[in-house]
Amino acid sequence: MTMDIHAPSADVAASEDLAGDEATIAALARARTQRRRAWVLFAQIAIAVVGLGAWQLGTVIGLIDPFFFGSPLGIVVRLADWFANGTAYGSFWLQIWITLEESLLGFVAGVVSGIVMGVLLGEIPFLADTLGPYIKIINALPRIVLGSIFVMWLGLGLPSKVLLAAVLVFFVVFFNAFQGVRSVDRNLVANARILGASRLQVVQHVVFPSAMTWIIASLHVALGFSIIGAIVGEFLGAQNGLGLVIATAQNTFDANGVFGAMLVIGLLALGGEALMSVLENRLLAWRPKSSADGNIAGI
Amino acid sequence: MSTTAQGVGGVEMSNVTKRFVTPTGAAMTAIRDVNLVVEPGQFCAIVGPTGCGKSTTLTLAAGLEMPSAGTVKVSGQPVVGITRGASFVFQTDALLPWKPVEDNVALGPTFRGVRRREALTMARDWLKVVGLAGFEQHYPHQLSGGMRKRVSLAAALINEPNMLLMDEPFSALDVQTRAIMSNELLALWEKSRPSVMFVTHDLEEAIALADRVVVITAGPGTVKAVFDIDLPRPRGAVQDIRFAPRFLELYRQIWEALREEVEQAYSRTAIAASRQRANA
Repeated sequence: MTMDIHAPSADVAASEDLAGDEATIAALARARTQRRRAWVLFAQIAIAVVGLGAWQLGTVIGLIDPFFFGSPLGIVVRLADWFANGTAYGSFWLQIWITLEESLLGFVAGVVSGIVMGVLLGEIPFLADTLGPYIKIINALPRIVLGSIFVMWLGLGLPSKVLLAAVLVFFVVFFNAFQGVRSVDRNLVANARILGASRLQVVQHVVFPSAMTWIIASLHVALGFSIIGAIVGEFLGAQNGLGLVIATAQNTFDANGVFGAMLVIGLLALGGEALMSVLENRLLAWRPKSSADGNIAGI
Repeated sequence: MSTTAQGVGGVEMSNVTKRFVTPTGAAMTAIRDVNLVVEPGQFCAIVGPTGCGKSTTLTLAAGLEMPSAGTVKVSGQPVVGITRGASFVFQTDALLPWKPVEDNVALGPTFRGVRRREALTMARDWLKVVGLAGFEQHYPHQLSGGMRKRVSLAAALINEPNMLLMDEPFSALDVQTRAIMSNELLALWEKSRPSVMFVTHDLEEAIALADRVVVITAGPGTVKAVFDIDLPRPRGAVQDIRFAPRFLELYRQIWEALREEVEQAYSRTAIAASRQRANA
């Protein structure tokens, strides 16, 4: 009898204990994560400070020759000068804008054509079998050398750089789109067909969205390639752009200038990468949150 | 029998053989000389050992594949392309992971040209029928296996099929969920009575659900025996009917026919495995 009276209250107490325990554990885990994050940030900043400090110190005490290797302060001064007084071929902002414009146009053109061709060849095996060897041959070429041809064809202006960037981007996106289309779950396609889908509807509702995961994975690499295409195109012959800025700095043995322009390009790429991640999260919002996502720290 | 099978949803396979060419270039016979009749509104279960071509009969009835020899007729018409009025439920749920549940269910009407708003209304109604009201906006991966199976059922039934093809639909579920889903399938089937071809390797499941059980031989498969299940309908809970004396009697009879094939199929895989080991 006493058991019967005591048991429920004991249960309540036990479950309260349990809830309390769980809350403490969650709080502890949160605190641990926060501490860890703070340490990572601290270590990251420390590396930058020590690295740049050593570089600067090395140039001051004569261990590193600033003529060849530049110096952090020198780079800042060079960039400030460019931003304030412009370059020999117009304001620095204009150079940034030109390179950005070439990369973006090349990126868009390459992505769109890559997706269209990838889906077409993936869906039509005859086309894939026929064109396959040619695409492999072109892909085997170091495509950077095409830049010289493009400059000869299209001149020193924007189009030659856009084309080079687009060609570089095209192959990355194309192969992923093709592979994505080929790896669509056959059951999904069969099911859609039984439910009454036309071939176009199958592509629209099943094949394309399914290939999207693959395509989006290629966009990060493609973005880098579009910037490479624009810069290399400018190296080969241009009237404006960051590539030209670097080429000029190189010809005048201006190490600070090369590093400065490099820094700006790096920042552009980082910005593009961040935008891409936002886009990716938007388009792939349906994906299950994987536990690995939190641990890769943006690498 | 062949005259009744010509009604809407009836399936008639005469001397059907299906051969495939494997990726290595060798020809493989999946089924040979299959004669099979499913009458309109009949629940037909197809049992057989692994790899005997059970699923092939379904893809032929659906019109996903064409027979190498023989004829397949659905509703009295020879199958020449995708069979109209058929719905398929796969072993792994064929749901689009990037679409919310309601959009997945609305696919059938959407493909048939129903406006999106109307299709979504139909989808929500069907989700209510399968007990998933409130989960319309969830993505498939956010649901349990049993819930995803309900979505698949809703997506298949929304087209109001007169023939339902099911390829081991519940084999990936745990035993309890499986029993629940079987009961719900029967309840849904009683409402609209499409003919059903239900492939399974589970004889208990086959007898509990079906009007007719077809036993297929070890591959290349052909029909070994056909059993009509005279258990009364509605059957009630499938968990309970397994203890009915008539159920046990039928089970013993059919198992007698099936056992030989299962053993043969197993010994074949065992021989193949030992050969591989010898070669390695």
